[in-house]
Amino acid sequence: MSSLIAYYPGKTIFHRLDPRAKIIFMLLVSTAIFTVQEITIALIVLVIMILFWIIARLPVRVLWGFMKVLLPIIGFLFIVQAIFYPGTTPLIKPLIPIGKGYGQITLDGILFAVLLALRLMAMIIMLPLVSFTTPVQNFALGMVKMGLPYKLAYTMTTALNLVPILQMETGVIVDAQRLRAMQSFEKGKLGDKLRAYPALVTPLVIGSMRRAQLMAVAMDSRAFGASKSRTYLEDIQLHPWDWVFIILTVAFSVVTVLGSYLL
Amino acid sequence: MNDVSYRYPRSKRWVVTHLSLKIKQGEFVALMGENGSGKSTLCQMMNGIIPNSVGGRLVGQVLIHGLDTKETGISVLATKVGIVLEDPETQLFTTSVKSEVAFGPENLSLPPEEIEERVRWALEVVRLAGYEDRLPTSLSGGQKQRLAIAANIAMRPDILVLDEATSQLDPVGVEEVLSVVRELNQKYGITILMATDASEMVARLMDRVVVLDQGQLEADGTPGQIFADTGLFKKLMIRSPQVSQLATRLKNEGHALPAFPVTVPEASKGLQILLKGTSPVLHVEQTKLAANTSQAPAIQVEHLNYIYQPLNVHAVKDVSFEIQQGEFVALIGQNGSGKTTVLKNLLGLLRPTDGKVIVAGQDTHTTAVAEMARHVGFVLQNPDQQLFAETVEEEVAYGPKNLKLEKGLIEQRVADALKLVGLEDKRQEFPPALSKGDRAKVVIASALALDPSIIVLDEPTTGQDYRGCHQIMQIAQSLHKQGCTVVFVTHHMALVAEYAQRVIVLCGGKLLLDDVTEGVFARPEVVRQAYIIPPQITELGQALPVGLGLPRNPLTVQTMSAAILSRFNHKK
Repeated sequence: MSSLIAYYPGKTIFHRLDPRAKIIFMLLVSTAIFTVQEITIALIVLVIMILFWIIARLPVRVLWGFMKVLLPIIGFLFIVQAIFYPGTTPLIKPLIPIGKGYGQITLDGILFAVLLALRLMAMIIMLPLVSFTTPVQNFALGMVKMGLPYKLAYTMTTALNLVPILQMETGVIVDAQRLRAMQSFEKGKLGDKLRAYPALVTPLVIGSMRRAQLMAVAMDSRAFGASKSRTYLEDIQLHPWDWVFIILTVAFSVVTVLGSYLL
Repeated sequence: MNDVSYRYPRSKRWVVTHLSLKIKQGEFVALMGENGSGKSTLCQMMNGIIPNSVGGRLVGQVLIHGLDTKETGISVLATKVGIVLEDPETQLFTTSVKSEVAFGPENLSLPPEEIEERVRWALEVVRLAGYEDRLPTSLSGGQKQRLAIAANIAMRPDILVLDEATSQLDPVGVEEVLSVVRELNQKYGITILMATDASEMVARLMDRVVVLDQGQLEADGTPGQIFADTGLFKKLMIRSPQVSQLATRLKNEGHALPAFPVTVPEASKGLQILLKGTSPVLHVEQTKLAANTSQAPAIQVEHLNYIYQPLNVHAVKDVSFEIQQGEFVALIGQNGSGKTTVLKNLLGLLRPTDGKVIVAGQDTHTTAVAEMARHVGFVLQNPDQQLFAETVEEEVAYGPKNLKLEKGLIEQRVADALKLVGLEDKRQEFPPALSKGDRAKVVIASALALDPSIIVLDEPTTGQDYRGCHQIMQIAQSLHKQGCTVVFVTHHMALVAEYAQRVIVLCGGKLLLDDVTEGVFARPEVVRQAYIIPPQITELGQALPVGLGLPRNPLTVQTMSAAILSRFNHKK
């Protein structure tokens, strides 16, 4: 599976949006997705997210990858919700009556499962939509401009930056141990897998600590944290279009959230 | 530096003791010494990271342009001294080349126009103009190190410290970085302090060599003075340039060259004078090794193609070769030539996109990696990526335990493996606390404990000092003598020449050459396509006039000196 954190360079409208607008977008839209109660609205949200994905010219293949990972989860949701959702419109009579309203496959249960699936998909598209189109340091910059202290913002984004490096490192370590006849990651019981963990985690942790020390040397030598009023080469400014986007995002989120309750 | 001593926090040992050193503006200084001699510590003292960030106790004074590092803020020192580290990944933290270079000046709160100008200048100096929007992680090793240099010089330092900054690079990368560093020194007058083991390079470029031993200044002089000091090299196990080693050998036999050489032209000139009046001896061709073809080959690669998905990178193109049981083979080529991909295919970590790979009778296509591990031992470049156990013993026993061998046999295997690498007396030690050389040996022992008939070493000597390199290669050699097939990947041509019987050269994913070692280095114009430079001693053989009758392609200093000395014996 591809990582959720990566940067796909591009020059689309979405890439050029101010990071602040995108942070607001991320926060508000995730709230909206979490609160939406109507299938039609959830569907509209999902379609808009997919449209944005296309507008941002992000690879559709990656999207497929995400969906493939989601599929079993969604299947599981369907089964659980269909059986346990306390609905009132039975479609099929319960085979084994568990209790009042439970254990029968109801229309409400199915619909709720559909809603959950839509939300989940919208969410899994929305997050990379932002992270794939925004260089990590612009994120930091956005957060600083929104009032977060620079060092904190930078620490957060550096942590994000390390994810792909750690993933690569993990790959190397797994290969090395497999060549020492570690089998449990190809096949093996849960217990075996747990026992195999120290052989993977230990080198990873020791390696990360070494790396962190050296990174500190490199950052110090480039005067990291020298002054509070750091300048930025690529300063960000909210352009009219960013404002339009923010207003649209706010309006959209409000309508979605309220709509779910009023309808 | 005045009488400086230093110890790390929570440590009683002084890593640097009573060290005094003066470096003038504009000098180009090499810092040499074994691993653990205090080189890195000294490097980090230069910009005050030691002791200001790291802590510990520093006695004495480190003055940079008269500023005491203990009393000067790191941000001020950052504008005086830049530092480039060994591992490119640890010093690049942003997502574009441009922002990487801008990072330092931004921290200094410079006005954006000024930053813009500095970024432009720095990228131009390191020849990365036009790469502004690239992802740092997508660059080659040499480009990454040049970017790290740009990021440092954008702070406009007077001094640039490079701590083993070229030791992880392939020869092309090394050249790229060196030419930039030299220009910084000559054109911009930046003082360079470079910790390195590459003595041929030191001899070619530097004005001055400072040698450390156990935290003390052992020697300080021009490359010529330093490399002529045989006692020093015996004691410290630092490698001197091969032509210097040759000159030392000749001198010990009473045939000193007129001037002590450190580079090929110097040696060539000297030898021609020395050998005047002697007559060529018939050079006996070395007998070629008869490969054992009666058995099935240990490794059989047929029309191997490998394409990385999803990016559709054709990394290996129609490569075929066979390696017989008991051969000692070097696999060489530039980074990106497909070496690693071929290795991974041999180990079963990757399955051929097309073609066939049969290793120890197993078709890798249908064999699980853990099963391959019984036949092929693999030694990873960086030992720290696999050490995890609490004792050396447990670490080595990990593989056999995975194979669920019986207890007695496991103990036997562990004992044998540790004996072979010479770590019997370190059975109970904590692997990460061992020296770098010993950590590599633990990894080799771990591979041996699986009792493989083939052993594959992926750049086993990267980051090792001279002593470590040769210890590792000697272990490989003793395995080879026991009948083990050895395949190793390296950028270190002197090691290839000294140890390998046969060399396979990859270039751009294709097989460029496959021949006995001498045969490969005898074709410098071909191997140069793969950006491989033969060892210095071979270059010397090729640089000498043919009429002199010395070996054209000597692989070791020993061969060359024996050939020269035989001339004098003949004369008698």
